[in-house]
Amino acid sequence: MIRFKVNGAARETDAPPLARLLDVLRVPLGLTGTKEGCGEGECGACSVLLDGVPVNSCLVAVGQCEGRDIVTVEGLAHGEELTPLQRAFVEDGGAQCGICTPGMLVAAEALLRRNTRPTDDDIRDAIAGNLCRCTGYQRIVDSIQAAAAAVRAKGSRA
Amino acid sequence: MSAYAPAGLERTEMARPKTIVEACRILAQAVRAKKTASLLAGGTDVIVDRHLMPVAKAHAIDLIVDVTGVEELVRISERDVGGERHLVFGGGVTYWQLRTDARVTGTIPMLDAMAKDVGAVQIQTRGTLAGNIATASPAADGVPALMALDGKVTLVKDGGARTVPLDQFFLAYRKTVLAPDELIAEIAVRVPKDGARVRWRKVGTRLAQAISKVALASVVEEEGGVITRARFGMASVAAVPHPLAGVRALVEGKSTKSLDRAAIDAAIDREIKPIDDVRSTGPYRLHVAKALVWRALAP
Repeated sequence: MIRFKVNGAARETDAPPLARLLDVLRVPLGLTGTKEGCGEGECGACSVLLDGVPVNSCLVAVGQCEGRDIVTVEGLAHGEELTPLQRAFVEDGGAQCGICTPGMLVAAEALLRRNTRPTDDDIRDAIAGNLCRCTGYQRIVDSIQAAAAAVRAKGSRA
Repeated sequence: MSAYAPAGLERTEMARPKTIVEACRILAQAVRAKKTASLLAGGTDVIVDRHLMPVAKAHAIDLIVDVTGVEELVRISERDVGGERHLVFGGGVTYWQLRTDARVTGTIPMLDAMAKDVGAVQIQTRGTLAGNIATASPAADGVPALMALDGKVTLVKDGGARTVPLDQFFLAYRKTVLAPDELIAEIAVRVPKDGARVRWRKVGTRLAQAISKVALASVVEEEGGVITRARFGMASVAAVPHPLAGVRALVEGKSTKSLDRAAIDAAIDREIKPIDDVRSTGPYRLHVAKALVWRALAP
């Protein structure tokens, strides 16, 4: 049995240790917010935070997660209250079809946790591993800038 | 039937050593028991290969040795070797560490620039230097950078260790001197002298998530206008990452101002044999390789 934390709650799985974290999150744990795009680390749709660090969950063996802390897109909001990033993606057109959105939010969350005053280049670096085929990225960059401004104004976490 | 692909996944055991010594013992036992064992760190190759393996070719790995719990492997330290300053990276050091550790960014900014060009953040946080070396891809980014810095790898096994210069580590396409019971414990690189021209240039289709068409890392040191040391590491132009020893021999001891470009181009023609593949063509790669070497040598 492999034990770890997901979105603050203790969870466990009897999956084989070499099973992908992505599959364990989506199937037995039912956290389908994390998407599978390419399955080879190119698209970022399966991004989650592992001990606060953004990773592609398609590249992580679940056996490597023993005792570790995982945050998926479902764990970002505080109850019904959206984070500044989620609000900005809704209000500024950062989300269109939605398939890249969970990964984008996770990658942007990791950025804003370490830097609440990012340049556009910092943002493009932070989301370079998250492919979007709808927005042309500019609306996403704008959304993340708007969220960063909101975080700075409130002095709150991303 | 298992819910997890590919079939047979549940036959693979995972060991999670905490120390290098323990990891080496586990590898030694596996080799003695004739088990197939594989080290696992960031998973950027192992997990993908395993998951996407065609069913017809699928073979069970008996044992995965996950080294992400070995704290010794993620250390970065400094060492004096023969009066020269070196940085020493544990094999498990990630590209993200190269981008964020002040000892690296402040000492060898070229490594920071290289790491920024590897995949994207989610790959940089997982991919490790030892993984990049062990998988022996001709298109590796980390390997040419470490090679240009006179990288030496320390290979450790149960009851022994040896040090191999990186330019002698690769034998042929995807073949290395690493034995099944060895792991790459550390990589030591020489810190270039102040004022050295230390450069990284990766030519790919886009800035992020690209595999190189050609990449070149270079260190050129000069005294009084004369090149006293030239080191290169070039990717995607041969079966293995290439040190361009012929170019090095041609330019060391020469004045930067009197370098013979035609002779250098001819040396490159002799040394590398770039191929046509899905990313580029042989002739284009050769053209770019020559341009990059010339820029690396320029003041």
